[in-house]
Amino acid sequence: MLWATRRGCHVDRTACVWLIRRFVDPQAAFAFFGDPSEAPDGAELFDVVGARLSHRGEDCSFETFLKEYELEDLVLREIAEIVHDADLRDEKYGRPESEGLDAIVRGMQLVLPDDQTLTGHTDVLYDGLYAYLSREVL
Amino acid sequence: MLSDMEERTRWVILVYQLPREPSRHRVAVWRKLKDLGALYLQDGVAALPEDAVTREQLEWLQLRIREAGGEATLWEARPGTVAEERELVGAFRDSREEAYRTIVAEAERVRRKAEMGGGALLEQLGKLEREFREERRRDYFRSPLRTEAAAALKAARWAVREATSGAVGRGARSGK
Repeated sequence: MLWATRRGCHVDRTACVWLIRRFVDPQAAFAFFGDPSEAPDGAELFDVVGARLSHRGEDCSFETFLKEYELEDLVLREIAEIVHDADLRDEKYGRPESEGLDAIVRGMQLVLPDDQTLTGHTDVLYDGLYAYLSREVL
Repeated sequence: MLSDMEERTRWVILVYQLPREPSRHRVAVWRKLKDLGALYLQDGVAALPEDAVTREQLEWLQLRIREAGGEATLWEARPGTVAEERELVGAFRDSREEAYRTIVAEAERVRRKAEMGGGALLEQLGKLEREFREERRRDYFRSPLRTEAAAALKAARWAVREATSGAVGRGARSGK
């Protein structure tokens, strides 16, 4: 399935791409557009104003994904807290990891301006975060 | 940096209006803009230098304003003249000064206390360091006081470490 979001991915969108590939749609393909009017026809939009899979109430898009796809994984819930704090900066969950994640992904964005390349690399980052947080849960 | 017309910053401008009541929406939006370090050009018109993050934050704020029954549009803009832009950049720098000044004063207080052998300063220092990081995040044009604040915090941390290791050396372990 084709998924699409805005160009210039930061924490919320890179985390969503990872979540889609690992937990929702292993065959996923992604398109990144500049303006919503350039979104490819038939693509499932995410983290785009007005889309089903986007910010909702206090939730960031990653949190909306967990709810929409009923992903009740404790580690994903924790990652959602970190992503939320990094994305919305409201310190809702007080996760210290969010500051580091924010800095790292912002920096990666500078050296990897192409979103396909960027998300290929951030996937490994979230794999690592998932593995690290899993140690404590299991 | 601003002498070259080509290198001028791009700005994102949020123009919005919210119903007077309930006032909590107006307060929430004002607080969010303040947290982002935005400057009001006038009532209901807030500006930030453009980057992927500021732009995105304002997009979500625009959505929230609309959901709260208000009107909001987002614009990319450039001031008409270099002088105007320089003024705006100056205003952004000035807007951070007070916070940095407070951090400098507090950090110096912590340092003096540590040098006089006071304990339990780590938590206070950690809070100041966090405030500094927050401030730096919205300090888009390197306010000159940033360096001073960073130096004051470094000096305070050094004094606190000295005080702590001295206490441990004397066998008076005080937790952390």
